[in-house]
This record gives sequence, structure tokens and C-alpha cells, in this order.
Amino acid sequence: MRIIVLVGRVLDPSGIVVNRRRGRIFINREEYLVNPADRCALEAALRIKDATGAEVVALPRGPLPDDDVLRQALAAGADRAVYLTGDGFKGADDAVMARVLAAAVERLGGADLVLAGATTLDTRQGQLGPRLAEALGWPQIVGAWQVEATDGKVQAVLQAPTPRVGGDRVLAPGRRWGKTPPPRVGGDRHQPWSPLPPPPPPRVGGDRGGGYATVETDLPAVVTVLPGALKPRYPDGARLINIYRAEDAVERWDVADLVEADALKPLLERRGQDFPPERERGVRVSGTPEEMAQAVADALRQQVRG
Amino acid sequence: MDFTFAPEHVALRRLVREFAENEVAPLAMEIDREGRVPFETLRKMAKIGLLGVCFPQKYGGMGAGETGYCILMEELGRVCTSTATNVGAHIGIGAMSVYLDGTEEQKQKYLMPLARGEKLAAFVLTEADAGSDAAAIRTCAVQDGNEWVLNGTKTFNTNGSFADIVTVMAVTDPTLGARGGMTAFIVEAGTPGFKVGTHENKMGIRGSSTAELIFEDVRVPHENVLGKVGEGFISFMKTLDVGRLTLGAACLGGAQAALEASVHWAKTRKQFGVALAHKQSVQWMIANMATEIEALRSLVYRVAWMVDTGQPFTQLAAMCKLYGSEVASRAIDVALQIHGGLGYTRDFPIERNFRDARISEIFEGTNEIQRIVIASNIFRQHGVRIRP
Repeated sequence: MRIIVLVGRVLDPSGIVVNRRRGRIFINREEYLVNPADRCALEAALRIKDATGAEVVALPRGPLPDDDVLRQALAAGADRAVYLTGDGFKGADDAVMARVLAAAVERLGGADLVLAGATTLDTRQGQLGPRLAEALGWPQIVGAWQVEATDGKVQAVLQAPTPRVGGDRVLAPGRRWGKTPPPRVGGDRHQPWSPLPPPPPPRVGGDRGGGYATVETDLPAVVTVLPGALKPRYPDGARLINIYRAEDAVERWDVADLVEADALKPLLERRGQDFPPERERGVRVSGTPEEMAQAVADALRQQVRG
Repeated sequence: MDFTFAPEHVALRRLVREFAENEVAPLAMEIDREGRVPFETLRKMAKIGLLGVCFPQKYGGMGAGETGYCILMEELGRVCTSTATNVGAHIGIGAMSVYLDGTEEQKQKYLMPLARGEKLAAFVLTEADAGSDAAAIRTCAVQDGNEWVLNGTKTFNTNGSFADIVTVMAVTDPTLGARGGMTAFIVEAGTPGFKVGTHENKMGIRGSSTAELIFEDVRVPHENVLGKVGEGFISFMKTLDVGRLTLGAACLGGAQAALEASVHWAKTRKQFGVALAHKQSVQWMIANMATEIEALRSLVYRVAWMVDTGQPFTQLAAMCKLYGSEVASRAIDVALQIHGGLGYTRDFPIERNFRDARISEIFEGTNEIQRIVIASNIFRQHGVRIRP
């Protein structure tokens, strides 16, 4: 079995400051991370590799200035990594990448499973997986907590959509992917959205709504993995050192050999930048504990009623 | 001249920092309170090869060299001095003595499991009446056929209480003293007569174990002599040079943590209507601290590069230890001043760092000994021999 993992890099958010008044983002410390959801996708691939001996190949999820994230994927345990380069490739968006990656999958001689992060940390892009599935003509599962692949099938645990309560924002997106471990793959696969036993323990502020479901499709398929779904492993130190010392650890392909020049025309055009509207400030309550509790209850009631 | 880290060292630092922040830092306060060694962390480090960071891959190590080892110690020192001490005693002096002076057979038998972290090491030198004056040790070894019989008591042994393999120095010829009369031995835990004595109740680095070791007619085969008979003192001093450099790296991490905590506190703490960062008195403290830290960083990694390129570094290693421990103590003292009364409470890590930092001016050769090493090296270059 061959698994392809798409990995990309994002700017470390702790090194940037957003200045709304001046309408700018200041980069104080330019450091890059492997996109957290992609790290989870890589971990999912490596767990399948541990279980089945599959070959894991890392490909970039977008244009990269260097092959560092691919080396990180190799250090973590991927067997092969391919760096894509070429003229007119620098401005590639997800639409272009889907075409390029579909061609790359073909040149690799096909694959059984493509795993990618469900979203990027910086611009919250989640299109790449679905677009690639369309380009390949494969089925897709989007936003998995867990992935298992055996005997020509892939199963993924999905989380039911969180029901909306009151206003349009229920929980901060970061919180919704909290740390409660999802149930193991298994249970009744044919009853969508049925809570699987044992139910995840309830957490304060973390009502998981409709529970989990396991879905299954035939291979080959594309599965995108949520950030925080799995704890990525630490690479083996000696392997890491050897991969960073080896000049040719990462293969280099020219995109011109994969697709025609007009396939590199991006769908997106950048016209400027703007900030989303500022969030409303919260209300500060004071007084005796009873008064404060009453004020919080009143505020909640008002929120729910709208 | 090139001051950039190699790509593998950049990648190693990223790995070590992530490990330190996720696995080591969360336990730092707990192991200090409970006074226990974080074996679970050491096991996790062993699994990814960190306990053999500087040893060649043919001996089961990671092959990241002295620079890689300094990176590990800096990042550990930044989050938990106790863990850095455990690791330093294992790699930097315990396993290092086998690496530097062991025969090929000894390396295969002892260094391999140490580098892989399957076994832990300790370096056993100090005695009750032989601290700074290491040549005054009285533990003796007498040859009996193809074996040596060790007798004596060693104190202040970091990792000694749980180490599987210890390297011990003993007097083999009392008439010759440090030059020619001392020999190093490899002793395995469990050898009859080898016992753990009392544990020290320390002010800081409470997550590391410091114990007395007792040797009562411990019989060691001749093939466990480390280096040549009579050359133990020179061999141990060579090992301590490496230990001193990496202790400087751990101090660099401790000082860096103090700087980061101070900057964070100066940004958030408001007095007289403004953040402390806007007070010149605090700005000067931060500027001085940062300058010393950068000077120390340059020294530590330059010496690491000298070790990796095979240049002599004894004098500079002593400088790393001396300057590093003093910079760390000063930085943490200033950080405590910036944090004020809250920094003095046990709710903030500053008080732990303050207690932990002080030991660096004492162990691995007191700072007074480092000054003797530096001065005697300088005077030797001018034809003057200094005796301590």
C-alpha cells in the first residue's frame, strides 16, 4: 500500500503581531511550522505504516521555498519525499496544486490513499483535499479524527457537527477540537451519527453535540485529518541528523514535467488585504458572588434568546 | 568565519525544544517539590536517541557532535535544571569517560547501551575529604590476580543511586599521587560490595539524585580498567572538560529562560500606570542580561565547534563553566528583582530557578577551581607553572 501525505508550512503565529489600527501584520520572528493538521495527517499515515508496512510518500501541499518540511516528514518516518519546483509555480493556489498533485500521484505510479490536513493554520484553507479528490476522481472523507486502512478500504472517525445554540458562534474553533480522545474505530458503521460506546467524557465548555460516526469508503481515496486529532510522534534523533546531512534525501521534480503551463494559472487573485470585523468586547461583572452569578445568568439568558 | 548552525543542528534544536516544552517543562515544578528523578522523561528521551546525542552512530549514538549536545543541554536548562543535571551526569561525564578513554571492547559493551539510553551512567570522583582537591581521594584499588579490589566511600554522586554503570577513580599507587598513582575503573551496579549510602537533601536541583556510594571489597576485572593504569586522573580531567562546556550550555538555557520570563513579566505587569517595560531601570536590567547571554552563547558554541573540529579547549571549557554559571546566577537574580514579591513565591518558577542556578557555581569544579585552570593555562603559555 502506498500512502501520500501532503505537508505544508505555516508562519509560527507566536512570532507575528496583528496591528489593526495600521492595518498590518508585523513579523517579529520569522519561523515556520509544519502545518499542524498536516502533522496529524502524517501521524495517521505513519500509524497505518506501523500496522501494515505501507510506504509513505510526502508531497508539498503548496509551493515551498525550501525542502525543510519534507525533510521533517522524512525524519518523522516517511519513506520518500518529493520537492516540487519550476517556473510559474510560486503563485500556485489550491486549484493549481490539485492539478499538479494529481499528476504527481500518477507519475509516482498511483497510490492507495492520500492524507492531508483538513485545514491550514494560517489562512484556514480546507479546499486542497476535496479538490485533489475531484481531480483524481476518488472518493473523499473530510475532517477525520482517526484513520485506519486495511483490505482495500479506509475507515475514518468523524465528529458530528456541533449544534448551534443561540447566536452564530457556539465555541471557538480551536476549542472544538479539544483534547477528549475520540472512541476507537469500530462500532456500528452503518448508523451515521450514532454516539459510539463508550461516549466521550463531557468537558466544561466542550459539548460535543451529536457524537461520533465511523464512515468507510473503498480505496483509493482522499482523507483529510483535523488538527489536534492525533499526537504527532517525535522523530528519531539519528534519523533526523542523517536526513538533514544527506543532500539528496528529498527528490526534486520540475512541475513543467507534470502539467502544461496553462494548468499553472491560479484561480485566486490577490487584490488587497483587510481584517475581519473586530470581536465585541465581553462584559465585566463585579459584586458579591451572588450578584456576579446573577449577572452571568442574565447575560447568558439574553444570549440564548437573542 | 561562519556563525550559522548546520541544518541538522537547526532541526535538532526544533526537536529538542518541542520535546523540552511538551515533556520536560510540565514536570519541572512537580519533580522539584517531590524531590524525585523523572525517569519517565529519561525513558522518552532514550527512545528518540537524545541520551546518546553526541556519540557516533556506530556506538548507538545520534552523531550530532558536541554542538548537538550543547543544543540539548541549552534547551533542557531552559525548562528544567534538574533534568539537565541528570542528563549531563549521564552523557557528559558518565558515558563520556567511556567514550574518551574506553577500549573498543569497553565501548561495545558499555557505551552502546548508555548511548541508546538502555542503561544510565554516573561519574564517581568526589570524596568527603577530596572535593576541589580531587587528587586527595583515598578510595583505593589493589590488584589481585586478574582483578582489582576497590575500597572506599564516594560522596555527591549525581545519578549514583540508580546508575547501571559507574566510572570510579581510585588510588592504585599511593606513592605516585595524581600523576601515575590513580586509575579509573568501570563498575557495574549489582557488583557485590557496591552499595548506595545516604542521599543528599539539597537546596536546588531537587529533581536529580545525589547519593553516597560505598565500595567494600568490590572486585572488578582487569578489562574494566578505563584507560591505562595510573592515568586515571588525567583521563577524568579530560572528561570534566567536556562536562564543563556543556554545563555552560545548560546555564545559557537557564539564563535565557530568566530573560524570557523577565521580558514577559515586564510586558504584562503594570505599575504607575505603565508596563514595567517602559521603566528605564527595567530596560537596563534586560539589556545587560541579554548582552551577557549573547556573549555566553558565542563562547559556548565556539568551544563546541572547537571540540567538533578537534582543537584543544581545556581553558575555554573552564571559561564556559565559570562565565556561564555566573551569567545564569546574575540573570536569575535580576529576573527575581523584576518579578518582585510574586517572584519570591513558590507559585512562580523563578524561586526554583534561583535555587537551581546556585549549584552551577559549585559543582563540576567550583568557580575558584575554574579560575585556577584558566590562570594556570595562561601562565603556562608564559613559562610559569602554577600549583593549586
